[in-house]
Amino acid sequence: MTRIDATAQRGFDRVLGAENVISDRARLRSYECDGLTGYRVIPALVLLPRTAEQVAAAVRVCAEHGITFVARGAGTGLSGGALPVADGVVISLQRLRRVLAVDPVDRLAVLEPGVTNLEITKAAAPYGLYYAPDPSSQQVCTIGGNVAENSGGAHCLKYGFTTNHVLALEVVLADGSVVTLGGDTTEQLGPDLRGVFLGSEGTLGIATKVTVRLLRTPEAVRTLLADFPSVAAAGEVVSDIIAGGIVPAAVEMMDTLAIEAAEAAVCAGYTLGVPAALVVELDGPAQECHNQFERVKAICEAHGCTRLHIAADAEERAAIWRGRKSAFAAVGRISPDYFVQDGVVPRTRLAEVLSRIGEMGEAVGLRVANVFHAGDGNLHPLVLYDASAGETARAEKLSAEIAELCVELGGSLSGEHGIGTDKACSMPKMFSEADLELMGRVRDAFDPGGLCNPGKLLPTPRLCGERPGKYRPHPLEAAGVIERL
Amino acid sequence: MSTPSAFDPHRPPSRELLDDCVHCGFCLPTCPTYQLWGEEMDSPRGRIYLMSLAEQGEIGLDGALHEHIDACLGCMACVSSCPSGVRYDRLLEAVRPQLERNVPRSRSDRLFRNVIFALFPHRRRLQVAAAIGVVYQKLRGLPAMARLTERVAGMGATFARLAALEALLPPVRLRDAFAALPERIPAAGTARRRVALLTGCVQDVFFHQVNVATARVLAAEGCEVLVPRHQHCCGALELHSGRELSAIARAQRTIATFEKLPVDAIITNVAGCGSSMKQYGELLADDPAWATRAAAFSATVRDVHEVLAELEPVAPRHPVRARVVYHDACHLGHAQGVRAQPRAVLRTVPGLRLVEAAETELCCGSAGIYNLVAPDAAAELGARKAANIRAAHPDLVVTANPGCLLQLRRHLAATSGDAFVPLMHPVQVLDASIRGTAPAMD
Amino acid sequence: MTIATVLRPTSLAEAAAALADTTGSVRIVGAGTAADWAGSPEPADVVLSTTALTGVIVHNPGDMTVAVRAGTPLRELNAMLAVHGQRVASDAARVDLGATIGGLVATADAGPSALVYGCLRDLVIGATVMLADGTVARTGGHVIKNVAGYDLAKLVHGCHGTLALIAELVLRLHPLPGATSTVRLIGSLADSAEAARAVLASPLEPVACEWSNGALLVRLAGTPGALPARLATLLGSAARRLDAAEQEAAWAAHAALVAGPGSRPHVDRAVLRVGARPSRLPAVIAELTSELGATGVTAGLATGVGTVTLPADPDVVARAHQLVYGVGGSSMLRSRPPGCVAPAWGPAPSAIEVLRAVQAELDPRGRLGAGRFHPWM
Ligand SMILES: Cc1cc2nc3c(=O)[nH]c(=O)nc-3n(C[C@H](O)[C@H](O)[C@H](O)COP(=O)(O)OP(=O)(O)OC[C@H]3O[C@@H](n4cnc5c(N)ncnc54)[C@H](O)[C@@H]3O)c2cc1C
Ligand code: SF4
Ligand code: SF4
Repeated sequence: MTRIDATAQRGFDRVLGAENVISDRARLRSYECDGLTGYRVIPALVLLPRTAEQVAAAVRVCAEHGITFVARGAGTGLSGGALPVADGVVISLQRLRRVLAVDPVDRLAVLEPGVTNLEITKAAAPYGLYYAPDPSSQQVCTIGGNVAENSGGAHCLKYGFTTNHVLALEVVLADGSVVTLGGDTTEQLGPDLRGVFLGSEGTLGIATKVTVRLLRTPEAVRTLLADFPSVAAAGEVVSDIIAGGIVPAAVEMMDTLAIEAAEAAVCAGYTLGVPAALVVELDGPAQECHNQFERVKAICEAHGCTRLHIAADAEERAAIWRGRKSAFAAVGRISPDYFVQDGVVPRTRLAEVLSRIGEMGEAVGLRVANVFHAGDGNLHPLVLYDASAGETARAEKLSAEIAELCVELGGSLSGEHGIGTDKACSMPKMFSEADLELMGRVRDAFDPGGLCNPGKLLPTPRLCGERPGKYRPHPLEAAGVIERL
Repeated sequence: MSTPSAFDPHRPPSRELLDDCVHCGFCLPTCPTYQLWGEEMDSPRGRIYLMSLAEQGEIGLDGALHEHIDACLGCMACVSSCPSGVRYDRLLEAVRPQLERNVPRSRSDRLFRNVIFALFPHRRRLQVAAAIGVVYQKLRGLPAMARLTERVAGMGATFARLAALEALLPPVRLRDAFAALPERIPAAGTARRRVALLTGCVQDVFFHQVNVATARVLAAEGCEVLVPRHQHCCGALELHSGRELSAIARAQRTIATFEKLPVDAIITNVAGCGSSMKQYGELLADDPAWATRAAAFSATVRDVHEVLAELEPVAPRHPVRARVVYHDACHLGHAQGVRAQPRAVLRTVPGLRLVEAAETELCCGSAGIYNLVAPDAAAELGARKAANIRAAHPDLVVTANPGCLLQLRRHLAATSGDAFVPLMHPVQVLDASIRGTAPAMD
Repeated sequence: MTIATVLRPTSLAEAAAALADTTGSVRIVGAGTAADWAGSPEPADVVLSTTALTGVIVHNPGDMTVAVRAGTPLRELNAMLAVHGQRVASDAARVDLGATIGGLVATADAGPSALVYGCLRDLVIGATVMLADGTVARTGGHVIKNVAGYDLAKLVHGCHGTLALIAELVLRLHPLPGATSTVRLIGSLADSAEAARAVLASPLEPVACEWSNGALLVRLAGTPGALPARLATLLGSAARRLDAAEQEAAWAAHAALVAGPGSRPHVDRAVLRVGARPSRLPAVIAELTSELGATGVTAGLATGVGTVTLPADPDVVARAHQLVYGVGGSSMLRSRPPGCVAPAWGPAPSAIEVLRAVQAELDPRGRLGAGRFHPWM
């Protein structure tokens, strides 16, 4: 059944114990996809190591036998990054989930890769500290997955993404050797390889130990939920806040459909039927936070806000966030099927992109719900469809066109979910051949044999055909502002 | 493409329910088996995936599906944590009977399960077992089971399970085991409600005092309490284990016993019983003779805390000065969504300080008969729960399910060297507060 | 000694041609403020200066991003951005000496406020780089949030002129703070470390927390308000809030120590940059001072990054590296006297093979920056 030769299989059994090697077809199938279920591949084996040493030993067996491997955290990725390879193994990191150290003095934590994002904050909380990046999936996604995807979250506008919070990584390279990238401080010994590994989607090695910075819990947090008569009005509020020199901890926007879904799931107190709602959160020293909050309130009112709800306590604040964070999983309640898109546009083009998305949806007769990180222009259009009504192909096309629209407007194919399997073939729309070739060379430097999560992130002829999508010049390039040689 | 489903046509899990799962994984962290083993197949997402494959005929019912559904505690933490509203409870209730019917169990497994189901749901047999004290010996002594246990005990792995059964049973006062409540307890003052009380099988034998306290508290808060004499087991254990036919029979008997009573609510103080009785409507939905009766019955079932939380307190309370951890029984918190009410009820007691332990949503490993059929996993979860509770430094731990009480007692005791932590049902605390006695620590 | 050809391209095309049309070794130079950092560059056939590759390509105030040619001095860039109330939030000591943005990135330089804004690696959102064969490639983009493809701007952050020429950079901007204020508390390094711990445990969120010249300096930024007073109270009666002129002077003095005595011929001291866990830094510095005669100390008590000036003696410097590595830290020699052969680096990092492989892929002939990472590469 498996396509792995017997000596290799014995090798895995030896380093992990046979009971930690899954080879039964039905069980293998439960690993055939991640959070993006449209892509499925049954792996030859699934390995369940318990320690970093076992991960390295297993990778050495792979290297010896030329077997490809795919690291897997919680399998919540939305770009098919943890999609198995048919003749390869999946190395699950779910059993490496010890918090190895929390150092309240130097304000850092050392973690095994399977620790969930939220557990880091839970472990740090007794010291008045927390881990800043907060993807909506934080209760389940792992720090290893976050490292691979350079995950972001609502609070990344002010505090930055995973890459800004990881100090050091212990990495098992494709040949099974173990190296440390980064160190105890931000001082670097030469080029920032840690930074290259962050966001490399599991294609450069497997992180087996992660050192992250912890921040002090802010003295004050103020959160408001404001309704607006139009998406454009809400967009102007965002611009005015930023132009006013305020860096909010988070600015999130939801439209009518997204609000409907979130309310159906968690009854968080959003107003049904309003065209747009903004969640704005400020934090920091109490007085500073208070002053800025008053200015934000005034800006909201100046733009015709129809309801301003200010969280009175931690519980109300949690409710607002529960609504926002459950939004996309909750879309399942208002539509039988949906695609989540993840594009980025320059913040100043938000209103434009939203109206274009609306038109595109109308043109093909599909509804699009919008939930997004308004502060940094990261959109999550949710294309709603009904597979049983034969709408899948149309929806998929619309979703892909939205991502490409973002590139056309000077943005990016992905703000946080990654390229993975899903968008590898769209990469040539954003990057030239030379850009991609450089990425390929860096990949070869880390993994000359191409064993580590092959087929992800970079387009391959096998995946995309000989001539993948056409390069779309960046608007600055089209306008002759930037040169392309 | 059109491979036939591996399930038989009698109530297979429905495709719509299976399709509700979007594979987001939000249910993983609160799933106890996933916490223990870190495997996809032992997570709710993985179990649903396997069910779905079976429904499409891509895998059979035996093997992976059977083993991983067996390993599920039925704690329903996954239902609470799912943002997409996936009804894993209904999927599980559909799949378990399918497996019981269609997949033969190994002989030792079958025999052991038979022992449990021969013992637990029967008040009489439990009383006998309790009277002699040592259940393990008692099992041999029960004529109906002598042969069974001999064979069971002869099989290595099953020893651990029997030891588990023995270790769990609480010391019981003989008087309690045979005691019964009067059939009607009048309300103190003007009656605000009239309710019927399910006394339960395990509960009444091992925790009779909880029933006494429940009746007293309800009366004190203005409820007239009816306690039908000929009550039987509500079938919770069987329902949650996929023994559908006997569960149905028990449900019908329970409905018949209670439905004629002129009451506002049928009350239970046992989480597992409440969750199963609230499910009767679904369980009997296909039976035209019973569907309406069952639905009407389920609609009147309330957990005792739900009723108490609704009633403005009238009975004066005396202070109980204690740090108290309330442990959410899965069948109350996850299955019935009753989390706030018991806490609210406890907060009516002056002097009482409610503290939360870490991982409140995680199962203690009791889970019906789980700690009997999978003692290792249950013990690991029990130890984890005990450590979390100890870390909150309570003077007293309360929970509303006898299974949890038994499990917690064992594991809180097992952390040797630590101070003794008394365990009670929340209504016992309330009872003590209303009566002005020190809470009777068991 | 061969006389190097000096090329000063003014555009991307000229820069590419400068690389593609020449052979032999290439040394990339910017303003020359870190010419002698991180190892002795070997004599090169071509010196490629970025000083004419300057100017803003596009600034979009609403998006708070700017695209700029790499030879632009950060000081000038920030002066231009200030008109819009914005800035690149880096306060590396060399900024005031005229360092170019490309040079600052290539040397991974950072100042005290890296505590909250991060290093330049955290502010660069896109880059155009040029390989030794003239290949031009872009990475990242023009939006602050972007995970498409590898983040190769990181690869040139700290490359010290090896691997690739940084031709253009896209940077994330921050608003100019409404006001900054600094509180000074005179005290020993050890006492200041204690005081710093209290500041960091408080909710005051300082943007810099440094010890230098016998005093702890804590900088706050934001709208003017009660914060400085709270900070002064926290630090006790000996703490003093500096007025604007004092504030400027105090931080200039700090920057002067970081920059060190420079590499003038008569100077025989070198600057060592040190990174160690904040809790370990004071002890390391104390030992460098007492054992090896270090002076000119600046210590980032929250970041764990410090600088000391040491005798430019190879033996002393080697021992200093050892000392820092002994506590799990890292160190690099910065400016030093001409001809000084003290080792720029301590032991090679565990990932050195990866670094060599990256160099072999990007610059197989080793044209760029030979000598920089001696003896590692
Ligand atoms: C409902 C929902 C909401 C989400 N919200 C957000 C959000 O707000 N922001 C956001 O950024 N993302 C979000 N995501 C996406 C996803 O949660 C993140 O990408 C997350 O970081 C993935 O973590 P994981 O542990 O599930 O990784 P997996 O999905 O298991 O793997 C993701 C990738 O990481 C690689 N990988 C995993 N572990 C390692 C390791 N130790 N070393 C090297 N490579 C590894 C895998 O090979 C794969 O390529 C959301 C997903 C869902 C389902
Ligand atoms: S059951 Fe719910 S929470 Fe779990 S994976 Fe499915 S949709 Fe997500
Ligand atoms: S019922 Fe409990 S054990 Fe079973 S899958 Fe759900 S969370 Fe896991």
